[in-house]
Amino acid sequence: MKRRLMGSDYACQYRAVDSPIHRLPAGWKMFISTALSVWILVVREPQPLLLATASCLLYYFLARLTLSDLWRDTRFFLIQFCILLSLFLYRLGYPAGLWPGIRTSLQIILFFIPGIVFLRTTQVSSMMKGLRKIVPYRILFLLFTSLRFVPFFAREMQEISLAQKLRGARLSPRESFQPIFWRDVFSCIILPLLVRAMKTADEAALSAQARGMGSRADRTYYDVRVLEAQLATREKTRTRTDTTPNKKLTCQKLPIKRRCETNEK
Amino acid sequence: MLTVTDLTYTYPGEHQPALTDISFSIADGTCACFSGHSGCGKTTLLRALKELLPEGILSGSIRYGELPLTREDVLTGFGLVFQNAESQLLCSTVFDEVAFGPENLCIPPDEIHQRIIAALSAVDLLEFGNRNVERFSAGQKQRLCIASVLSMQPRVILLDEPTSQLDGKGREDLLRVLHHLKKKGISILIAEHNIQPFTEIIDRYFLMSDGRITGSQDYPPDEYRRGQQNVASEAQPRKKRAATTTVVSAENLAVSYPGSKHVLCDSSCEIRDGELIHLHGENGCGKSTLLKTIAGAIQPDSGSMTVTGKKQPKAGELLGTVALLFQNPQRQLFEDTVRDEVAFTLKRLNLPEKVTNQRVECALSICEAFHLRDRLPLTLSFGEQHRVALASVIAPEPQLLLLDEPFAGLDPLQRLRLLKILAQLRQEKGTTIVIASHDPLPDPAWSDRIITMQNGRIVSPEAALV
Repeated sequence: MKRRLMGSDYACQYRAVDSPIHRLPAGWKMFISTALSVWILVVREPQPLLLATASCLLYYFLARLTLSDLWRDTRFFLIQFCILLSLFLYRLGYPAGLWPGIRTSLQIILFFIPGIVFLRTTQVSSMMKGLRKIVPYRILFLLFTSLRFVPFFAREMQEISLAQKLRGARLSPRESFQPIFWRDVFSCIILPLLVRAMKTADEAALSAQARGMGSRADRTYYDVRVLEAQLATREKTRTRTDTTPNKKLTCQKLPIKRRCETNEK
Repeated sequence: MLTVTDLTYTYPGEHQPALTDISFSIADGTCACFSGHSGCGKTTLLRALKELLPEGILSGSIRYGELPLTREDVLTGFGLVFQNAESQLLCSTVFDEVAFGPENLCIPPDEIHQRIIAALSAVDLLEFGNRNVERFSAGQKQRLCIASVLSMQPRVILLDEPTSQLDGKGREDLLRVLHHLKKKGISILIAEHNIQPFTEIIDRYFLMSDGRITGSQDYPPDEYRRGQQNVASEAQPRKKRAATTTVVSAENLAVSYPGSKHVLCDSSCEIRDGELIHLHGENGCGKSTLLKTIAGAIQPDSGSMTVTGKKQPKAGELLGTVALLFQNPQRQLFEDTVRDEVAFTLKRLNLPEKVTNQRVECALSICEAFHLRDRLPLTLSFGEQHRVALASVIAPEPQLLLLDEPFAGLDPLQRLRLLKILAQLRQEKGTTIVIASHDPLPDPAWSDRIITMQNGRIVSPEAALV
């Protein structure tokens, strides 16, 4: 149950585990991600590309992400992999088109992996903290709240699609490629999804308003990791000056439940 | 004490007020319930208290103690938990969600930390602090919504239909949380038409109708219950049929989703022609998956399934024979008129126009929606949309009708009206009907049989024959 609750069924969602990558500050992760992505774009030869691939995967698995996470995060890139490879083979023939096709499509997949690791390992509050100096809070809020609703709309789309298929809408993958059935895609899926999206956006906006969003000119930012570090420092200082441990402060440290229980004992 | 005097509100562009002369008072640490049918003004009242209504015509006064409320009092003193927990949660992790309100109020981070601990402890979610909210159950999401409001330290909590998505266990957990809050001196206002789960904590009942408070008392309103009983007797099917032919036969079904354990395992059941079945079980026990498997939308990993004589059917093969109505009607409405909406499947079945028109009219009449035939479906009320969605799935005259949590969002009278329509459908067309619901049916005499599910298994396929 606990393991289940750490992640999400959907791609690019935050995974709540502890790992060296999770512990890195958001700025550092952004720097590493950018560096890795640029490196992947510039390599041309098989050996450096292999090295870049290994580095990307090492970075991914160091974040304690699993193979099934990797599958969720990259499965849709396989479509572009197949399309690009086919185009290269069609244009340059076999075997001349094989290596450029594999290289280009692999580079596209690998380019996104460091960014995916960033999303998987960074809490929204940490991302906001890093970005709020350069981007207005309202825009950040809009951006990151949209990310939160990606799984919700993915689920909605599945349900809508299923309901419409059962009513006779032509939405199978084969039918979706035929322009004659594109009306079904628009009217049976996109239209109800838009209606749901507008309703959900309305409810989310009310929820934000009800909790004081925009009620003050500024706001504070709570970062559980920073606070934990601050409390630990205060704790150290106090224990140096006072031999009696401050039970109340120790109790505030995380992981909350375990520490509190320890104190109670 | 919260005192509301002569509160009247009219939505912009409307002539009729949505709330008229609402007056009541609630002492600290007490719980009041506003009850009434859909559209009676319960939600509008809660939003009026939280100052979340669009700029219409508002009069009357709201006081907490002696002085009128300031904007700041409303912001921090009133916490509103909306009906739909899913769209209310704005952040990805539990900590971020609970911290969101205090952050907006410029509370210092170390105080936010204290508030988070207190709020999460109150709703028993402390150990989930860093977790992704995506995986939470409906009950956990509801409690998290309460925690996200509690962290703003409100004096009054407003709950809008808090049990609409919850099963029995979710309700028990919620009730425990509300008990705890009441003891701490927080006033609770619940807008709910299903008052049964809350009777032990409610101190005062207010009955609402057409935007007015029509009565208040210290015990559950009799008038309301009597109204339900009258319609309940009408909802009962007139005759139970001796069913012989098997419509659904499932043996040792197992279904799993990628990356998860089995959602259905070793499940066997048989549904006979013309039966009215209540598929009962807690949220997440596999009811929806079983319905989708019967409808051919999901292929089982193992086991065998025969539906209306077809072995291991796929969705397209059962068009017109098996129909599935999902919980939220908005997921399937898209046409310009109700008539077109109901005719959609019939057109896909290439039926002659005359037959199509006949069936559309028949389905709309059965679902008491004939008068809506030229309206735009998306502009209808929730109850009307529900009836139109039902008409659109019964129009092809399916042999088997499956309904997934059809009572969510409907008030007790609408629920009984739905049962009545379904009983009439069985009577007139001989349709076999399966209702999946985590609640007992509003009229227990409606079903011929209850199939109970637990943790992905059918535990009593033949039990509770009525």
